[in-house]
Amino acid sequence: MFLALKEIRHEKLRYGLIVGMVVLVSYLVFVLSGLAYGLAQQNTQAIATWDAQKIAVTSDANDSLAQSLMTKQTANKVTLTKHEAYIGQAGVVAKAKGQPKLSAQFLGINRGEFIYRKLTVTSGHKPTTSRQILVDDSFKTNGYHLGDKVSLGATGGKFKIVGFTHNAKLSVAPVIYGTLVTWRTLSHVTSDFKAGGIVSNRSGFKPQTSDLKTLTMSQFINKLPGYSAQNTTFTFMIAFLMVIAMVVIAVFLYILTMQKLPNYAVLRAQGIPAKVLVTTTISQALILVVGGLVIGAALTAATVLVLPAGLPMSFNVPLLAGVTGGILLTGVLGALIPVRIILHVDPVSVIGG
Amino acid sequence: MPALTLAHVSKQFGHDTNQVTVLKDVNFEAEAGQVSLVIGPSGSGKSTFLTIAGGIQTPTAGEVHVQDQSLQQLAGKARDALRLNKIGFILQAYNLIPYLSVQDQFTLVDRVKPRGNLTAEQLANLLDQLGIANLTKQYPGELSGGQTQRVAIARALYQNPDIILADEPTAALDSDRVKVVGQLLHDLAKQHNKAIVVVTHDLRLQEFADKTYAIMDGRMTLA
Repeated sequence: MFLALKEIRHEKLRYGLIVGMVVLVSYLVFVLSGLAYGLAQQNTQAIATWDAQKIAVTSDANDSLAQSLMTKQTANKVTLTKHEAYIGQAGVVAKAKGQPKLSAQFLGINRGEFIYRKLTVTSGHKPTTSRQILVDDSFKTNGYHLGDKVSLGATGGKFKIVGFTHNAKLSVAPVIYGTLVTWRTLSHVTSDFKAGGIVSNRSGFKPQTSDLKTLTMSQFINKLPGYSAQNTTFTFMIAFLMVIAMVVIAVFLYILTMQKLPNYAVLRAQGIPAKVLVTTTISQALILVVGGLVIGAALTAATVLVLPAGLPMSFNVPLLAGVTGGILLTGVLGALIPVRIILHVDPVSVIGG
Repeated sequence: MPALTLAHVSKQFGHDTNQVTVLKDVNFEAEAGQVSLVIGPSGSGKSTFLTIAGGIQTPTAGEVHVQDQSLQQLAGKARDALRLNKIGFILQAYNLIPYLSVQDQFTLVDRVKPRGNLTAEQLANLLDQLGIANLTKQYPGELSGGQTQRVAIARALYQNPDIILADEPTAALDSDRVKVVGQLLHDLAKQHNKAIVVVTHDLRLQEFADKTYAIMDGRMTLA
């Protein structure tokens, strides 16, 4: 550590450039991870608030709630407990006088069922009639207010916003909670249809009818349009970035080590154990990478402060810890590559000529 | 008992038709309290002799003893430890670590060998004697060739080794400094009972030596 710190202090520019590179890589990885997680959350935020385990949709709906229409006949084949709730999804465009149009996902639910009970209201109250709706906070940031009368398409008339709720997004669109009666109207279906599907917070939920297909929530989420493709793209971007970072850091450390070989040969000639030199190289890599990570994290935090509120960027501790650990591991692996050279440095090379 | 003994040491490099014998049946003894000079031209085998004497290379044949310890019987780590504790090197090239100040060159020794080094007072006296007491905060890049060489000498002596192996220690020094370094090596040998071995082609050091060996084409003779 002594040699590592002394060298960094003396060669400020050289090591500053390496730290700068780690800063840029970690900054990019942090921001990309934040965007990936933020976007993933905006696909599934509403689902996460239900704390559900299973969802049943009609067998011909291709695992999509938006495409699922469950008849009363099918619904009657399933006995619902307090752990289940009917639900219907419809894509709508919300519009109120003097406010911008917002593309949204309407979710029709029954009052008293567990999804309704799970909803948390940030202002106002939960809807109590079919003309009332509870909407995501993003409506508020777009200028909507409690009491605004909103149309949700060509048919159905106006609906009054009676409450706002937090973290209610589905497929990267704000959610509007209303009744299943309204859902039927917006979906242009008759009262022969009960709902789109059934959500349960029991892992053992399994309707005994071939008309319905039961999915776990993670299966259902992975089938959301674009969700898997988007996550896979981000994962590959981050993975490639990490691999490239490892190669670049390894090359830098290799070049630095090669430049220091005459010094290491002198130290070996004097009997300084190879272990000291290897420890120096690895601790130096760790100091550089940790320094870069700290500055990268600070830059990311500063970026979050100045980004527009609507940008889907979000962080969670396990993901950040994983990414940080990955970059640290990358640095250590990069430092381990020249270790073999250090172990074989020849002290004879510095004696005489 | 001699501090350093080489008995019938030979060293060959390469194989078959490319084989070169660099040292041929070398016999050498360095006593504590004496300066032993090994004089020879470039390519005579001086450096190979020094690396074998210091345990950095192993001979093809023959025996090397540091006091009563045979170097051939020591594994890598034990040989490192012996170099660290018993042998001080004064090297001709790349003597100092460029990113360590003069003071830190000594601190590094303390870090890997916490005991048995010179005390702060002894070090101050040594630096004063070498005329580099005012350079402790300087980095090697800020020193002249002569100053660098004197700091390298001080560093080797700081470990307080029983044997000092010096490779052309006066190569970068003017005649006045040669006398200072020669006298210092001589005094160290006498006052501190060190065995000092100097390989050089600088005949000006002869006046400070107790014994002079000549080396030519790998053969060593007592002059």
